[in-house]
Amino acid sequence: MLRFLSIRLLRAALTIGLVVTFAFIVLRMSGDPALLIMSADAPPEAVAAFRKAWGLDEPLWNQYLSYFGAILHGDLGQSMRDGRPAIQLVAERIPATLALTVPALIMKIGIGIPAGIFAALHRNSFLDRAVMITAVAGFTVPSFVLGLLLVLVFAVQLGWLPSGGQEGWRHAILPIITMGAGGAAVLARFTRSAMLEVLGQPYIRTASAKGVSWRAVVRHHALPNAAIPTVTIVGFMVGSLLAGAVVVESVFSWPGVGRLLVVAVANRDLAVVQCILLLVAATMVTANIVVDLLYGFLDPRLRSGVKA
Amino acid sequence: MSIALSPAVPVGTTTRKRAGMPPMVVFALCWIVAMLVVAAAVQWLSPYSYTALDLRARLQPPVFMGGSWRHVLGTDELGRDVLARLLYSIRLSLLIAFGATLIGAAVGTLLGFLAAHLRGFVEQVVLALADFQASMPFLILALSVLAFFGSSLTLLVCLLGLHGWERYARISRGLAISAGAQGYAAAVKQLGASPWRVYGRHVLPNIASTLIVSMTLAFPEIILLESGLSFLGLGVQPPETSLGNMVGYGREYLTRAPWILLSPASIIVLTTLSVSMLGDWLRDRLDPTLR
Repeated sequence: MLRFLSIRLLRAALTIGLVVTFAFIVLRMSGDPALLIMSADAPPEAVAAFRKAWGLDEPLWNQYLSYFGAILHGDLGQSMRDGRPAIQLVAERIPATLALTVPALIMKIGIGIPAGIFAALHRNSFLDRAVMITAVAGFTVPSFVLGLLLVLVFAVQLGWLPSGGQEGWRHAILPIITMGAGGAAVLARFTRSAMLEVLGQPYIRTASAKGVSWRAVVRHHALPNAAIPTVTIVGFMVGSLLAGAVVVESVFSWPGVGRLLVVAVANRDLAVVQCILLLVAATMVTANIVVDLLYGFLDPRLRSGVKA
Repeated sequence: MSIALSPAVPVGTTTRKRAGMPPMVVFALCWIVAMLVVAAAVQWLSPYSYTALDLRARLQPPVFMGGSWRHVLGTDELGRDVLARLLYSIRLSLLIAFGATLIGAAVGTLLGFLAAHLRGFVEQVVLALADFQASMPFLILALSVLAFFGSSLTLLVCLLGLHGWERYARISRGLAISAGAQGYAAAVKQLGASPWRVYGRHVLPNIASTLIVSMTLAFPEIILLESGLSFLGLGVQPPETSLGNMVGYGREYLTRAPWILLSPASIIVLTTLSVSMLGDWLRDRLDPTLR
């Protein structure tokens, strides 16, 4: 177990290291940040001072090391636009994003998994077809289209709900539905195919043949085995709790991390972009580790930890 | 060579299977062909230039909402014909998606072959990069690159080309390794063929069907990514126009002129739906790795 954990943690650290390196390489390849930020007619002394302040006058290798060191100390740089620490700017937005993504995640799991299980157990029935068609539609309708259609119907035509902004819980309804619907569809599709795969296994036939009731077969034999691929997808969704909201927050002008990212990209506010990139990588990596631990819980064969 | 080596698929079965194509797939195929025709012949099909202004006919509704036949799908707030913009958008969006899919497939397959050929350290690096790519949400990576470099059409195509390379790399590596074990690759190598010849002329044709299936499955994802980025204003830049761009722009006129947004949105949905249905169907028919 300890060995398993340490291998996982090492890999996680490697991934984070790769993200940091990726950010650094892209940052330095993109040209001189001093010239990007300062206007073209800035006096040369000002540009030089800026370079010195940001450490841009040192050798590249030193820059990389000090960059890495600063990140290890939790210093993610300052927003080049408004001078405040990037991490503070991002942290302020996290609650707003979670206020959308957590309910959306509950909706995905609460609708997607039961729908998938149901569809698999009633294969080729009318409801199975209906669930699958909805699932395919949920996958192919991009979230900005779905969001705008919901606004058109519920905000513009019917006037029941507000179309954007963040004043109260009613403002959160449409974004949550927009985000949850696509994920629920994906999850339903995955759960269904995982269940179908498991239901075709010989041990299901054996259990039925020895007289176990169908309900018990499903509960004790099929569901736990189908849980593994489903947990993987749910893990990915948990990992993207912060990242998954980019488009939807933009559609509904919701002041979360995703909206901040889009604005920062448009303004080329590199420190903020880096900070969000690292935050997303960290959540993703943490979610992956939790998923790996859950595998061990779900499947005793994976507990020994030899399968790294 | 490839025919001789795949006796499991005799020629007769293909025609039989084609006859059994489900109606939904036939519809999907027709839609894709229609989109390709539009993309190829847009100069002749389009009633107006996509930048032509008609300031006396601003925000005209489409025919089915009480508009005139002069602007079948209506006009936007500068009086530009929505149909003309739609047709040009289809062309650009499809071109980007095609280019990006090809880049992704080429890069991924090449890296996969490299990993299979050299093994050892290179293989580990390729696999680690693939893991990294698969574990990060692609939209975030794409956004950060765009933040650093600004948006241009070439960059956009290359960037979207990086989407999904890891799948081709995994597939081609796995299949190339197993091809090496099958003997035919080793045989041509013994005959003195260069690695380029072994992989390009012998291994690639044998694994092409699996790669093509992955491409059909990646294509709709790339259309969605491009339209998402363009919708956010970070993809295709005006005066060029793409489907996502039109939706993003039409959003401002959601209450007064919903038609600006509805037609590109439905094209996006129908096209991604068609390509993924075709891809699913092809996968079930062609992919030897699925039972």
